[in-house]
Amino acid sequence: MRPCDSLKREFLKKWMMGLQSCSSSNKDMSILERKEAIKLSADVAMACARNGATCWSRALIAAGAHSKHGAPREYSNKRIRSKKILKRSCRIRIRRRKRSKCSAQVGRASSISKGLVRQRTRILKSLIPGGESMDEASLVEETLDYITYLRAQVDGMRSLVDASELDR
Amino acid sequence: MSNRRSSRQSAGGVSRISDDQIIELVSKLRQLLPEIRNSRSDKVSASKVLQETCNYIRSLHKEVDDPSDRLSQLLATIDADSAEAAIIRSLLM
Repeated sequence: MRPCDSLKREFLKKWMMGLQSCSSSNKDMSILERKEAIKLSADVAMACARNGATCWSRALIAAGAHSKHGAPREYSNKRIRSKKILKRSCRIRIRRRKRSKCSAQVGRASSISKGLVRQRTRILKSLIPGGESMDEASLVEETLDYITYLRAQVDGMRSLVDASELDR
Repeated sequence: MSNRRSSRQSAGGVSRISDDQIIELVSKLRQLLPEIRNSRSDKVSASKVLQETCNYIRSLHKEVDDPSDRLSQLLATIDADSAEAAIIRSLLM
C-alpha cells in the first residue's frame, strides 16, 4: 500500500497554485516573510488535499483564510518550553521517589505517570492544528492522519525544491 | 516498569486517552516511528508514546523549514514570468 505518492502529488498540485499567487502578489517581501508565506501556503495545500474532512485540516484552512503572514505553529513554542521545564522537574521528582520506600512508591508512581500522560496529551493538542478543541478520542485519529499528511508535505516540498535547484 | 490499568485510580470527571486508544496509537505509530518499532511491545508506556509522537511531529515541522528557506531564496532571485518559473510550473504537469 503506497498512498504516499498520490498524497504527495495532490499536495504538490494544490501547493503550486498557492505558490503562484503568493509569489506574484507581493514582490517586495523579505526572505523571511516569503518563507512564512510559503509555509502557510504549504499548510493550506496540505489541508485542501485532505478536503477539510478532518478537524486539523479545517483549522489550517481557517488559519490560512484569516492571516496573510500567519505562522500557526509558532505560538506553541513558549508553552512547549515551559512544559519541558515541568517535565524535567517531574522526572527529578520520580527519581527521588524511587529511592524512598517501596510501599508508598507504587501509588505515587502511577499518579506521576498519569500526570505525564495528561501533560503530554496537552502538548500533543498544541501541536495538532485545531487540537485545543478536540476530545481525547478524536485526538488520536487526528494525530495519525495529520502525521501522514505532514510526511507527504515534507516529501513534496523537498522534491520540488530539489528539482527546482537542479535546473539552475 | 509494566503498564498499570488506569482504572485503579479514579481520574476525575474529564476523559483521558484510554488504554485501548494508546494501543491503537502505538500499533499505527509503529509503522511510522523507528524508535517505537524497535522496542518491545509490553514495555511501551502511554507517556512514552505521546512523547515520541510529539517529538516526531516537531521534527517534521522542522523538516518543512529547510525547503521553505531554499524556495524563498529561489523565488526571490527569479522573475515570476521567466523561463525558470515556467520550468518549475511544468514540473507538476
